[in-house]
Amino acid sequence: MTEDRPPFFRTWTGVYALVLGFLGFLILAFYLFTRHYR
Amino acid sequence: MSPLDFAVLFGTLLAIAAYGIWKTRGSRDLEGYFRGDHAMKWGTIGLSVMATQASAITFLSTPGLGYEQGMQFVQNYLGLPIALVIVSALFIPMYYRLRVYTAYEYLERRFDLKTRQLGAFLFLIQRGLSAGITIYAPSIIVSTLLGWSLDSTILLVGVLAVAYTVSGGTRAVSLTQKYQLAVIWAGMFTAFFLIVREVTGRLSFAQALAVAGKMGRLEVINPSLDFSTRYTLWSGMLGGLFLALSYFGTDQSQVQRYITGRSVTESRLGLMFNAVLKVPMQFFILFVGVMVFMFYQFVEPPMLFKQSAVRVVQESPRAPEMKRLEARYSAAFREKLDGVNALAAALDTDDAGAVAAARDRVRGLQEQAESIRTEAKNLVVSVDPDMEVKDSDYVFLTFILNHLPKGVIGLLIAVIFSAAMSSVASELNALGSTTSVDVYRRLIRPRESERHYVIASRVLTACWGGAIIGFALFAYMVENLIEAVNILGSLFYGTILGIFLTAFLLKRVGGSAVFLGAVMAEGTVIVLFFTTDIGYLWYNLIGCALVMVLGSVLQAVLPGGGGALKNPVATGAGPG
Repeated sequence: MTEDRPPFFRTWTGVYALVLGFLGFLILAFYLFTRHYR
Repeated sequence: MSPLDFAVLFGTLLAIAAYGIWKTRGSRDLEGYFRGDHAMKWGTIGLSVMATQASAITFLSTPGLGYEQGMQFVQNYLGLPIALVIVSALFIPMYYRLRVYTAYEYLERRFDLKTRQLGAFLFLIQRGLSAGITIYAPSIIVSTLLGWSLDSTILLVGVLAVAYTVSGGTRAVSLTQKYQLAVIWAGMFTAFFLIVREVTGRLSFAQALAVAGKMGRLEVINPSLDFSTRYTLWSGMLGGLFLALSYFGTDQSQVQRYITGRSVTESRLGLMFNAVLKVPMQFFILFVGVMVFMFYQFVEPPMLFKQSAVRVVQESPRAPEMKRLEARYSAAFREKLDGVNALAAALDTDDAGAVAAARDRVRGLQEQAESIRTEAKNLVVSVDPDMEVKDSDYVFLTFILNHLPKGVIGLLIAVIFSAAMSSVASELNALGSTTSVDVYRRLIRPRESERHYVIASRVLTACWGGAIIGFALFAYMVENLIEAVNILGSLFYGTILGIFLTAFLLKRVGGSAVFLGAVMAEGTVIVLFFTTDIGYLWYNLIGCALVMVLGSVLQAVLPGGGGALKNPVATGAGPG
């Protein structure tokens, strides 16, 4: 088992924050999409 | 289907299966057969996890849902990225630290043998049944529409998947999944491009979106707190989170995909790949369905997409009634076509009053068409009460067969079969590994050579393959089997997840307490299922919470504290 470090960001917490931030962005984008086409 | 379609279909399926067998021949130990020698990179893991989850039904039912209900189903996946972050942070390091072959092996290290066997038993029942459905569900749809024999279709998918899974184990599954996913995406993007080209021959893309929106097909987010609404932001975030956490964290068909990584980092990146792409992917597949819906605003669709249901009436004395319904449906379609054109024209004028009037007219005509469809379905059921009339699963394939060019039809049928094979191969691989490692090696023949275990694993995997194909061949005998298996999964998933979360989070709870808590929780879930009307997705949450609460209470009250702390490393408390 090799060293457990992400290839970007210093820690996995940063990677997880990015992923969850992207989820937040998607929800916001979907919400605006819904409003626009309603 | 033309000869070119057959060549594309069989060439694709046979080439991928043969390549998988040839490339992964000769595993000599369990490490290679079930963990791929820990050689997988994140891309392979990510694609393998994605291909395992995306079954044929994903590519048949999801566009059908988009066609019938619009985009709201995507909300069911909003809890998935959160679940994958939790699995990545909590589950993966533990599985690597203990070097397990199966998720349930971990339970013995953390608790005791009986808890491991309980977890493995629940998995084998649930996954063994659902793997049969993974083959049966697309086969019944494809065989009905193409006029193929159902048994031959099941055998085609099943035998090919069993052959390379038995031969090459985990590596063959992961390798073939990469190419199967390539076929799937090539097919889906081609279909999307061709559908959009058809639609934009009649309206601009922006107009098509605007009309689809006014017809209620582009509502993605529904923040309603109404529990009776099927798809909402909150049910997706909460119910979807627990479902995905259980599936990705404790279901061996997924665990086996990511424990093949060459490091924790590779496995985590593979899951993060899915955390980022899964929601957009589901959005895209639903959007394909919405575009098919827009296409059928200009080209008259069949009144019922399941033509075998229509034939039942046509061959009965009540055929004239079906003919009258079809005439009414055609008239309603023509009127709606006028309405859709008027709506598109009104949207160009920016006149809010005209848009509202045109929208209300189209929606009224859509409801009228739907009510004629309902009458037709009722007519079918009155002639044959056993006939399943739900036809949304047939929408996408009907469109493919009737409106896409030669060659592309073969590619799209290959998409469906590739998706079925990629899912069933993972399930088979997981059933084989769980039976081999958690039952055969642990309980029956604990001290044999590696070669012996590889041969035994191949035999057990082949036996599961035979059982799954046999189950699929006889699945038609129970019409509501698909829903029954889905419900069965939700009844067990919560309890399994509860055992694992207790292991990770409640470090003072021992084996006997969690075992009794799990048995009591499962009993309670089954009693609730038979005595209440709770939606079955909620059992994931209820079962999980019950195991954790009951385990904690029993740990406090049982003599001897409900079993000693088994292994500090397995709780995450020790050095790793």
